Amino acid sequence: MLFRSSRGTGRKALAAVPAALALALTAACGSSSGGTPAASSKDALNAPVTLTFWSWAPAIAPTVKLFEQSHPDIKINLVNAGQSATEYTKLATAMKGGGAPDVAQIEYYALPQFVLSKQVADLTPYGAAALQPQYTKSAWAQVAINGGIYGYPQDTGPLVMFYRTDVFKKLGLNPPATWAEYQADAAKIHQADPTKYIGSIDPADAGGMNSLLWQAGGTPFRTTNSTTVTTNLSDDAANKVTTLWTSLIQQKQVNVTAGWTGDWWKAMGAGTYATWIAGAWAPGVIASTIPQSQADWAAAPVPQWTAGTYVSAENGGSSVAVMANSPHKAAAAAFAQWLDTDPTATQALTANGLFPATTAVLNSDAFQNASIAALGGQQANKVFADSSAHVAAGWQYLPFQVYANSVYGDTVGHAETAGTSLLDGLAAWKKQIDAYAGQEGFKVGNS
Amino acid sequence: MSDLDTPLRPPGARRGRRTSTSPRLFGLLMFSPFFAVFAFAIVAPVLYAVYLSLFQDRLIGGSVFVGLRNYGQALEDPQLRAGLERVGVFLLIQVPIMLGLALLAALAVDSGRLRWPAVFRIGLFIPYAVPAVVAALMWGYMYGPQFGLIHQAGAKLGAQTPDLLSSSWALASIGNITTWEFVGYNMLILYAALQTVPHELYEAAAMDGAGEIRKALSIKIPGLRRALLLTTIFSIIGSFQLFNEPNVLQTLAPGVISTSYTPNMYAYNLAFNGQQFTYAASIAMILGGVTAVVAYTVQLRANRGERTR
Repeated sequence: MLFRSSRGTGRKALAAVPAALALALTAACGSSSGGTPAASSKDALNAPVTLTFWSWAPAIAPTVKLFEQSHPDIKINLVNAGQSATEYTKLATAMKGGGAPDVAQIEYYALPQFVLSKQVADLTPYGAAALQPQYTKSAWAQVAINGGIYGYPQDTGPLVMFYRTDVFKKLGLNPPATWAEYQADAAKIHQADPTKYIGSIDPADAGGMNSLLWQAGGTPFRTTNSTTVTTNLSDDAANKVTTLWTSLIQQKQVNVTAGWTGDWWKAMGAGTYATWIAGAWAPGVIASTIPQSQADWAAAPVPQWTAGTYVSAENGGSSVAVMANSPHKAAAAAFAQWLDTDPTATQALTANGLFPATTAVLNSDAFQNASIAALGGQQANKVFADSSAHVAAGWQYLPFQVYANSVYGDTVGHAETAGTSLLDGLAAWKKQIDAYAGQEGFKVGNS
Repeated sequence: MSDLDTPLRPPGARRGRRTSTSPRLFGLLMFSPFFAVFAFAIVAPVLYAVYLSLFQDRLIGGSVFVGLRNYGQALEDPQLRAGLERVGVFLLIQVPIMLGLALLAALAVDSGRLRWPAVFRIGLFIPYAVPAVVAALMWGYMYGPQFGLIHQAGAKLGAQTPDLLSSSWALASIGNITTWEFVGYNMLILYAALQTVPHELYEAAAMDGAGEIRKALSIKIPGLRRALLLTTIFSIIGSFQLFNEPNVLQTLAPGVISTSYTPNMYAYNLAFNGQQFTYAASIAMILGGVTAVVAYTVQLRANRGERTR
């Protein structure tokens, strides 16, 4: 950017950004849904109307086509307004300045932010409450916020451990069932071959850290009365997680490196990292990015803190929400409902790589028995469904999680890169979160 | 120069009927398209940013007029200060290196001793035609600590290359990208300026027995004074505005390159990740002010130097 502009202000930053941001890797994740037919709100789909729908999931376009075939009166204008944070930026701006869509894909972590600013509509008046039994508990818990229902779960990301069968086999190891075993295996793998690690940790991946805390039983973020935000990043869960990962990093048994970069994918394809703790959306990404290593991957439950128990968490996943200022809210709600409950739709979404949020698809034989090519043909959906059933209850995101996640790299990520205590990193993160909460007019609760 | 600018006029021509009104109108007419775009694309957004910077828009509580409070907060903001210091260091080290290389290249092309001067000139200039984001991505790919080209080449030669995206190397790696991008651009400005040096001076110098190096030191570099000042000022502005390169490399080194690495990145992240448009606007204004002061100081000192010569 040197010399190109002779204009004195920082306005340029505002103009130069979208391209850079679009290119910046936002590692967001897809997944899916399933269910039974939506009986209610069908009338809303009889009047001719055009709905604009923002979504970046590749599985959406074919599903939207199916909708238009069965609902000839409704036109869906599908727009890819960028992935994850890119879309939220545009969405928040469009809600203020105009040009917002009727329906939008919003990840669970970002949904509370749009609820707080009243930019997404409560779907309770459109019969949403009746659909609760169709969804997995953990999916529903992420759209039911402050007594309202602010979206339909499109896909989820139950946390599992993907691992390289070739690496473990060569060393005669079983995939670790507990974090203690994980740490022991980490030492063995790195000792056998110093170019290999049990895994990598991404200094920008706030979502990954949130999932680890969640899986350790933590509930670091609390919002009460919509205006008091309490952040506790030094509880028992935080201590357990940071003690383990600080040690792994300091012993150089995990590699600290940015994820989703060309360098990282090459290492993933080459078997440099023996495990990848991620959501059930990962096989789709393995298939499209490192297909040469498909035969070597398999899925297992995420390692446990206590042997013999099973506690899991979510990692990623999206909802479909109706924007509060849409002039066609009823039709938009009916469309969102069709997209995430109608069997035609949920099966199409699942077939296109999203992990289902509806129990109908999740428990179907066809789904459970499907063999996943990206995981060496393993019937891995059973592993994923099992994880989904064991997601710890009670997790909440901050009403400004998008901002909090954006400064994760400055604090926790910095500690990871520097090899210092991650607990201190979490403390620095909390400090930033509390400062921001204060600036934005929240009461900051004592943890 | 100013003596030459005054057109030669036959005596009495000013008394003609077509006095100054019509040419002045004509001038305004010619000027108006520029002025319209300038007002729309520069003046209005700056004024809007100033307006924004006087408010605070909060998630809880909405928009409130706060006067200059955002500026007070920004002046005490350690993240903004750290960013300014970082671009300051960048300015002091990268700019002299880049301009030195550009000067050498311009003198080399101008010396007439190169076999294919046009190829050399275009080759150096091409990086400037590569969009900054693409350049940063490309270099970022080469910097990769495991499979990056530089690391791999080092490994082939048995040399241990440092992690170019670590905290001790990141700023130098960014400087390398901007140098690569802008040496050709600056070379072209300097080379163009060299074309205006009167040839008689070279002939006279040659008569006195001066070689190419002597000519460069005694005629060309002094003749490039104004062009060098221009490139220096462009570079100062560019350094303070540093954004694309660190922003792209941040995805590769998020634990090293923070969201407030440069003042522009800080303003950007506050505005778009934090929705703090009003505070970001005040940071933008402060950054603009600092840039203007530094650039103006350099210009003033250079001009004073010229006058006292």
